[in-house]
Amino acid sequence: MNDRMTFDPTRRSLLRSMIGGSMLLPGIVSQLLAEDAAPSNPADPLAPKPTHFPPKAKRVIFLYMSGGVSHIDSWDPKPKLFADAGKTVPVNEFQGRKGDYKMFLKRPQWEFAPHGKSGTEVSSLFPHVAECVDDLCVIRSMKSDHTNHYEATLGIHTGSFTFARPSIGSWVSYGLGTVNRNLPSFVVIAPQSPYAGGQVWGSDFLPGAHQGTLVVPGPEPVANIQRRAASSRLQELELGAMSRLNQRHLASRADDPLLTARMKSFETAFGMQAEMPEVFDLSKESDATLKLYGLERGSTKGFAWQCLVARRLAEHGVRFVELIDVGSSGNWDAHGDMLTHAPLAKNIDQPIAGLLRDLKQRGMLEDTLVVWTTEFGRTPFNAASDAKGREHHHWVFSSWLAGAGVKPGITFGESDEYGINVGKDPVHVHDFHATILHLMGLDHERLTYRHTGRDYRLTDVHGNVVRDILA
Amino acid sequence: MMSERLMSAVCRLRCLGLALAVVVGASADRAFAESDSDFFEKKIRPLLAERCGSCHSAAKGKTRGGLALDTREGWQQGGDSGAAIVPGKPEESLLIRAVRYRDDGPQMPPKEMGGKLAEAEINLLVDWVRRGAPDPRTTAARIGGATLDDARKWWAFQPVRPTTPPIVKESNWPRTDIDRFVLAELEQRGLTHADNADKRMLIRRATFDVTGLPPSPDEIEAFLRDESPGAFEAVVDRLLGSPAYGQRGARHWLDVVRYADFHDGDPKARNPVCEPLEAWRYRDWVVESFNRDLPFDQFLVHQIAGDLLPAPDGKEPNTDGLIATTFLVNGAWDRGDADKEKMVSDMVDDQIDTVGKAFLGLTLGCSRCHDHKFDPVTQSDYYALAGIFYSTRMLKELGTKGGEITLQRRPLVPREVVEKRDQQVKQIAEWNAKLAELDKQSPKPPADDPARLELVAQRDRLQKELPPEPPATLAVSEGGVPGGLFPGIQDVPIHIRGSYTRLGDVVPRRMPSFFAGDRQPPIASGSGRRELAEWVASKENPLTARVIVNRVWQWHFGAGLVRTPNNFGMLSEPPSHPALLDWLAAKFVEDGWSLKRLHRRIMLSATYQLSSKVDGRGLMVEGQKQHGEAAAPSSPSTLNTQPSTTLDPDNRWLGQFTARRLEAEAIRDAMLFVTGKLDPATGGPASDNLAIARRSLYVQTARWDRSNFATLFDAANPDASDEKRNVSTVAPQSLFLLNHPFALDQAQLLADRLIREVPGDTPNVEAARIQLAYHLLFSRPASDEELAIARQVMAQTAEPTAESGWTDLAHVLLCSNEFIYID
Repeated sequence: MNDRMTFDPTRRSLLRSMIGGSMLLPGIVSQLLAEDAAPSNPADPLAPKPTHFPPKAKRVIFLYMSGGVSHIDSWDPKPKLFADAGKTVPVNEFQGRKGDYKMFLKRPQWEFAPHGKSGTEVSSLFPHVAECVDDLCVIRSMKSDHTNHYEATLGIHTGSFTFARPSIGSWVSYGLGTVNRNLPSFVVIAPQSPYAGGQVWGSDFLPGAHQGTLVVPGPEPVANIQRRAASSRLQELELGAMSRLNQRHLASRADDPLLTARMKSFETAFGMQAEMPEVFDLSKESDATLKLYGLERGSTKGFAWQCLVARRLAEHGVRFVELIDVGSSGNWDAHGDMLTHAPLAKNIDQPIAGLLRDLKQRGMLEDTLVVWTTEFGRTPFNAASDAKGREHHHWVFSSWLAGAGVKPGITFGESDEYGINVGKDPVHVHDFHATILHLMGLDHERLTYRHTGRDYRLTDVHGNVVRDILA
Repeated sequence: MMSERLMSAVCRLRCLGLALAVVVGASADRAFAESDSDFFEKKIRPLLAERCGSCHSAAKGKTRGGLALDTREGWQQGGDSGAAIVPGKPEESLLIRAVRYRDDGPQMPPKEMGGKLAEAEINLLVDWVRRGAPDPRTTAARIGGATLDDARKWWAFQPVRPTTPPIVKESNWPRTDIDRFVLAELEQRGLTHADNADKRMLIRRATFDVTGLPPSPDEIEAFLRDESPGAFEAVVDRLLGSPAYGQRGARHWLDVVRYADFHDGDPKARNPVCEPLEAWRYRDWVVESFNRDLPFDQFLVHQIAGDLLPAPDGKEPNTDGLIATTFLVNGAWDRGDADKEKMVSDMVDDQIDTVGKAFLGLTLGCSRCHDHKFDPVTQSDYYALAGIFYSTRMLKELGTKGGEITLQRRPLVPREVVEKRDQQVKQIAEWNAKLAELDKQSPKPPADDPARLELVAQRDRLQKELPPEPPATLAVSEGGVPGGLFPGIQDVPIHIRGSYTRLGDVVPRRMPSFFAGDRQPPIASGSGRRELAEWVASKENPLTARVIVNRVWQWHFGAGLVRTPNNFGMLSEPPSHPALLDWLAAKFVEDGWSLKRLHRRIMLSATYQLSSKVDGRGLMVEGQKQHGEAAAPSSPSTLNTQPSTTLDPDNRWLGQFTARRLEAEAIRDAMLFVTGKLDPATGGPASDNLAIARRSLYVQTARWDRSNFATLFDAANPDASDEKRNVSTVAPQSLFLLNHPFALDQAQLLADRLIREVPGDTPNVEAARIQLAYHLLFSRPASDEELAIARQVMAQTAEPTAESGWTDLAHVLLCSNEFIYID
């Protein structure tokens, strides 16, 4: 990436053009430009902030699969589970209930094979991403704290398994601010509402500016972005008049930063109307690029569209982009039949591979962190020997990281022989979060926010950076 | 203030799985033989520090397995596996077993920390334990997170003190006793106060404050004309008497009690069994309670235990009482999932958390997994309260694994009515079954078979008579959730680390021990909710009156005297004006817990009526401020003009009024009000349609919908009690006002109103319309320059029609800062 991220020509040139154009009075525009030079305005929660130490990643693309993707059918090969399928294992808890259970081991549905130079084994569920394994760091020892969707989904997003807390994207926005004021710092693209709904990208007690801006794939992806004034000129006239009135109002009110921030927000909104549609306009993308993602020209649906838009948002300086593939139903929650994983995998497989390749060929993978995760895995066993599905399983599951600052082509951590528990090097959700923040140049123990008399962190009082996977 | 580092260390401590409540006081300490003490200091302390300290030190915030070895309490309480040392019995001490590397337990120190101790070191530890583990590292008697001594000294835990208003120098300024408290603090700091707000500013402030709406031009006019000394008092009384007061007050309260109308924002997607569909009855009850000034102590008791109160008219059921308990059940627990027991424990936790924060200003929920880290609340206290809520039924059915929960509804009609209808329903079902039977016979009886016809007629008659399902409310009843871990009325065990799967000792139901002291109300029968409610509402409770008085202060001034209104605990910032807070609390109780009198008292003070404008003249500091010390007050001739905003940027000392942005609901309501379209209808289920003209209180709050208008403008998050709203200023808010059809419609409607109310043949029509707009929106006339700017907008935008120019101007004015900020 070039220096575009730290300097924002679009906005400045836009403002400059207004000086020439008409209604925004020159004095106001130069004041707005001057504010750019001094980003420490306390009323501007999104002003860029220094990192705790030099970052490896400047931005994150967080891919979240809703419902619980089976680790033993995808990233975590368990030959013994294939071999011993049908045998029973003793288990002391099942779906949140303690007890002594005998459970039947269930054979994974997809075969595994080594891929790439690294030889990392991936199942045939993800044939395209499998071709990119040399860029991935697959973590096979993820751990979560809860067996329910709601809590586990909150947990992987906020570090809290009980109450809503600020999401990881909000923390990153709070910690780093943003470099493009014509766009939000944190964007979530989700076709449906996940478990726990908007809490997944909520800012909770952090200032509202850090909340994720929801984009729902479709004709108007961002709310109210379409200018409804009869013409751009008319809107400029309105904004110009508003500025003059606001200036007069401000003059007798000791330059209240809230008032100036609000004046600025209208100007940002004006910029967003121009820049947001530009980001979502894929018409200039080449056929080759569309093909890479498997996106049909003109389509605004599916994970392919989400992935391509994510790359464009990243290019335009958005700090944290989260993609959620499906919602709180019709998802990876394969209680009834593992084969329901197949169409869901097809929806994301080529688009994710396309995203990784596209980022790489543009040189963006060097400073973009791509995260792939889900709320928990699925049980290697079942109560019945002929069950077709798998239940919730948070004791161990798999995720992966790729890009900035992460060792490529490795696996980290192990589950036990059947994929029931962590076998080696556990990576709890808190550790996962600590590591992501670390890659962004943030110390998870120092990134705090004081709320009701205490300092809060994304990682609560836990979390260790997984140093072994850092490049 | 704690340093960040210490803070972080203390937070880590949260993880200790401590179960013990009060640690033995210092008086119980055994006297140490000199040799024991020497032995410990020379041999044991260094050994523990060097070989165990990196993982088991409370001071370092590292307590693996919940075990700290750097205090005596640490090993006495032990970690997750229990006490680490049994004094005198090395063989029974977990610590000794661990350092001996026994196969059947933990082996400490672990290999990566240097591995097994040397034999000599192990022998030292064994020797020490055999001597009775003498450990001189004592600490003071503690309860929960505080020493008993500190907790007793904490201002909020002491009884409300009788205070008298202090003597002030500027004796002609105070209007009420409140002002004497405020002025004394200002004078002591060498600060002065702003000028009085002018009458327009004042009526606009007061009207938004009490009703959430702007004043009408007529109301402003009447106030300006009324030159009597009681003019403002009359305004305040009028406002407090208007139905809009209850709507405004309710919105404040609903934030505190995490109220939502629904989980799912989409009406079609709502599952009626687990959605709080009847929550609106509670909202309407709150509105009505505010309007009829239900004394706050009763308001409180209703919400915790209204189902247990007799109806005022003696007739059953007590509908208000039942409806009020919706408070307990309208929490964020989704539809339910696999782990139902966990969910019930979360509900209980939500109730403890909300009751604690909303009424007591205590973060009781912090003690779910461990003793409170800062306040005198133990985990036992928590489970003593948990027993009360576990013994309360809030669900009709727990549901199946992965299935939905069913919230409990209780009918709002007498039992006989319900029973009669139930019988009728049963009778119809029986007849239907009989008919089905008849039709199954072979040969099938003909359609005109007289017996069959008679049956059909009977059924149809009853069906027609059958009254509609009686109205019901979400409500609790006595006895736990059937099918759960704790059905019926019972004490519950401590949940180790907050998990119902690891249960400790059973704790009898009672009030938190430090706070109840020797006035523990006995729980004779029932869950104990009634006793809890009465204990919270009692005059003797040092917290309850202070907490609500502080909230009301915040509703008027934007910030409370205590700035953490949900937390009066020992980590909170003490009040800026402790004597004033106590004075207000005492008066409030004396007044019979009347909120309206409290509002009135606050609003009639000179402090409330100060200007928010800082012009450097009204805000001055007396004397020179040098070397960071406040100089002694000097004579007025040496006044040094320095805005107090630089000395008191947060306006902690109330030398001026703090201007603030309107809340989400007030912004929308004000828009509807100025267009003249606001629908005054009250009550009923919430609408999912932002475009309706009713007050925002009646537009739905849905927990899963975070992309709505109210959330965009920082409405409370209904997942947990919200003590104070954020004020964010983000571009998507501006996009809403620029482009959302609601905003554009209001601009259109406002323009229509201006044109309608000032007809085209009015002399100087343009100026008259602009003036009307200014009076409606800003409660003041437009200046010449503003008239000029408005005319310019009109001239440049009057395309394609003159009317469209008015719409553009209306849009500009509705978007302007002045419209949504109150001075």
